[in-house]
Amino acid sequence: MRRLIRKLIRRRHLEQDLEAELAFHEEMAAASGNEIRLGNRARVKEEARDVWRWSAVENAWRDLIHAARRLCRTPGFTIAAVLTLALAIGANAAIFTMVHRVVLNPLPYPDSDRLIDLDHGATRINVPAGMGIKTGLYFYYQDRARTLDSIAIFAIGSATVSGRGEPEQIRITRTTPTLAQVLRVPPALGRWFTPEESEPGSPQVAVLSHGLWLRRYGGDSGLIGNTVTLNGMATEVIGIMPPDYAFPDPGIDMWLPASVTRATGLGLWVYRGVARLREGVTVDQARAELNTLLRDVPQAFPNDPLARATGPEFGVLSTARILKETIIGGVAGALWILLAAVGIVLLVACLNVANLFLVRAETRRQEMTVRHALGAGAGAIARLLFAESALLSLSGGLLGLILAWSAVRLLVSASPATLPRLEEVRLDGVVAAFTFLLSGLAACSFGSMPLLRGGLFTEFHDTGRRMTATRGQHYARHVLMGAQVALALVLLVSSGLMVKSFQKLRAIDPGFNPASTLTFAVGLPPRDYPTKEAALAAHRRILDSIATVPGVSHVSSTTCLPFDGPCFSNGIMVEGREGAVVETNLGNTSFRAVEGGYFQAMGIPLIRGRAIERSDVERSEPVAVVNQRFVDLVFPNGDPIGQRVSWTLPAAKEGESPKYTWLTIVGIVRNTPTRTLRETSVVPHLYMPLSMTGRFDAPTWEYIGPRIATLNYVVRTSAISEGLLSSIRRAFNAVNSNLALAQVSTLEERLARTSAGLTFNMVLLTIAAAVALLLGLVGIYAVVSYIVSQRTSEIGVRLALGAAPRSVTAMIVGQSGLVMLAGIGAGLAVTLGTGRLMESLLYGVSPRDPVVLAGMTFLLVIVAVVACWLPARRAARVSPVQALHAN
Amino acid sequence: MDQTASPALLQGTLELLILHALQRGPMHGYAIAQTIHLLSDEVLKVEEGSLYPALHRLEINGAISAKWGLSENNRKARYYRITVKGRKTIATQQETWARLSGAVNRVLAR
Repeated sequence: MRRLIRKLIRRRHLEQDLEAELAFHEEMAAASGNEIRLGNRARVKEEARDVWRWSAVENAWRDLIHAARRLCRTPGFTIAAVLTLALAIGANAAIFTMVHRVVLNPLPYPDSDRLIDLDHGATRINVPAGMGIKTGLYFYYQDRARTLDSIAIFAIGSATVSGRGEPEQIRITRTTPTLAQVLRVPPALGRWFTPEESEPGSPQVAVLSHGLWLRRYGGDSGLIGNTVTLNGMATEVIGIMPPDYAFPDPGIDMWLPASVTRATGLGLWVYRGVARLREGVTVDQARAELNTLLRDVPQAFPNDPLARATGPEFGVLSTARILKETIIGGVAGALWILLAAVGIVLLVACLNVANLFLVRAETRRQEMTVRHALGAGAGAIARLLFAESALLSLSGGLLGLILAWSAVRLLVSASPATLPRLEEVRLDGVVAAFTFLLSGLAACSFGSMPLLRGGLFTEFHDTGRRMTATRGQHYARHVLMGAQVALALVLLVSSGLMVKSFQKLRAIDPGFNPASTLTFAVGLPPRDYPTKEAALAAHRRILDSIATVPGVSHVSSTTCLPFDGPCFSNGIMVEGREGAVVETNLGNTSFRAVEGGYFQAMGIPLIRGRAIERSDVERSEPVAVVNQRFVDLVFPNGDPIGQRVSWTLPAAKEGESPKYTWLTIVGIVRNTPTRTLRETSVVPHLYMPLSMTGRFDAPTWEYIGPRIATLNYVVRTSAISEGLLSSIRRAFNAVNSNLALAQVSTLEERLARTSAGLTFNMVLLTIAAAVALLLGLVGIYAVVSYIVSQRTSEIGVRLALGAAPRSVTAMIVGQSGLVMLAGIGAGLAVTLGTGRLMESLLYGVSPRDPVVLAGMTFLLVIVAVVACWLPARRAARVSPVQALHAN
Repeated sequence: MDQTASPALLQGTLELLILHALQRGPMHGYAIAQTIHLLSDEVLKVEEGSLYPALHRLEINGAISAKWGLSENNRKARYYRITVKGRKTIATQQETWARLSGAVNRVLAR
């Protein structure tokens, strides 16, 4: 390095110094009358300058210029190579962007590796994880856990914001004020809420998302301190979060203080928790401490009716894990697999370009030989070839980066909503560096091909006419061809497995009939409908009004639709079995309150008994309809019809026994999915008349039974028409023009959304496989064409000696076929060896599914044989005379 | 001076000679050429065309260092001085040269 700097400085003085030095020399020579001649001063200077030349850089530059000129002379080759590389590198850069921004990048909170998801599971009731946290544990941990720096709990809900424009349903998060200490992100404007503001009875305050602030209030900074109307309640806006703040997910528009008090006792599993680890504490240490604390819950809450259900008796344990793991979940695996897939595409592309290079090297053998004869060293010639490959892959990389830029936008818009952190996905410096690294690797891979193959140039006498190509030359090409076949097969099989998974997923009977049925959610502002009766009456009026819309055959409403999760769940008590904890062999049951005719509107078949009728709702009949899973779990050996059940309920007052409201089971319906179609364990459901629910106007910590402020409508029609939604809107406005329709979608869309992740993976893998197959086809075609062209004379001799054209074709196809068999063998070996990696993406298909393996192998063989056969047939058709004159 | 008596120097040999000459102390280019000329009993004649590129090469390699100074006749001249690295180089090169010339002589003697 020092020498380099010295060189740089010296270089500037070189000219003057040299001039002075030479002048001195001549003067001395002249003075001494010595014979030493002046020589050619220009030449001396030239040579001295050569010594000082910044050789490496200047040579490289010269090589690049030279390479560029030569590439321009063969535009076909150059364009083909650059485009192939750009596509492959672009695909890699795009998928890498997703991996980098979603999986590798830390969450956008300070010291985010110390953030944990404070989740719980209960092993004794078969709930391994995902229960969240309850208010009692929040205070309990806050008092005792030494491994945690701060804790916050939150619950996602929805609310209607009105005033200043159309009423709108937004997603809100109710959380403890401690969330600011846990995440350590302050509002961009205004402030976060204080502990006093989260106490029950204090005036409602809200912090808005940047998105809602811009969308609804035009980014008006005067909004801070003003009030907005939320669920009919005046709510003071105290802060605006920064644009990239998306906790717990990007769809949240507002954060409100959760009314969390110690008076609640332990409470139910209705919250999710997030905590910050103390400096230097690992998540394992925290989990160990929390588990120790959980063992003491029954002692710590001696009078709480839920104490036993929150302790060791239920096998409750902490399943705390790093927050990032919860957020990115299973997506990491899928993204890595996609990256591997596009990596394979890049390999196939490189093999193709390498092959083009080989052909080029072959045709330039003569040129190289001349260069060598004229004194260019092997190093100089290798440098020249490297300059060409570097130039090609750099242009490919640059073009690829541009392609990636648009591909990333496409990917983000096409990604399933289940893909987390999409809002963070964008190209950045790391992606650019990755792209150029890839380009460099690609350049090395095919730039070195002609070198590895040995001999860029031959001795002069060897460049003359040859009848056959040497074995060594074909060997390299055969390896390339075999590798392409193997790689293409790996991708074909994985995409085949995805397609089959997709078919399996689509073939699942969801348990309801999704055809031409519209769903949407409506929230009633509590101010306008202060009592449950008023709200129910309004909903009933809306229902009746929608029923008159032409084309509507059934309409009903529910607190919870399939795929929306369990919504509200609790344990089950069976009359006569109160003492026994039924929950020990049963996960929580999802409670759903429905209007009459719900099962008809949804198309959920009734297995036994009767459905919930309109009269049940009108008369608040204490009846229930349960799903098959419920029967299997709660009444495995008895008849459930006529049995009375209730939920586990805390006593209203300490020391009192809880007052159970018993519901008589009158019917059994088919199971329906709760979150996804690919559920490993079906959730038991209990449907009850809408009017049987708890007081919806009660504070959050008191009510039990699902909330009916927001209801999901199900409108079954003969066919979904353009005007349907506006007719429905008109029906609404007749009741109340201040209501907002939210989450409008058909049941079919809801169904498609649950397989969106799999569809996304399938589409991308299929594209990758198709590209690899196409590139492989082109590659095989090119190799065989080249080999055939080299063997034209030999073929001519064979034909002249009487070989049938067909046998010549068969010979060529056969020779390539052996190579391809080897490639297929290698591809199958890789597929079988790495199949387990794919398992997490698949549904209902083994990674070694014989039908997929056989089918894809067959497809590849067909394509490969065609790619061989075309050039082979052409070769065999030439006339022997022509063939012998070739070359 | 007979032209045939002034053979072209082998690549590398000139550098050995320069280093050898500089072992006597720092000197400028002309003096180096003169020293080699005289030490070779006026057989070897170093042309500036090869001398200066060789000097610069040695300088780049760090075998010699250069500094502007005043010549015996009060002219500005670039003085070259052998470095520690240069002394090491000369030791190895001398050995190589001895082996090479011995080998050439043996070949020619047969």
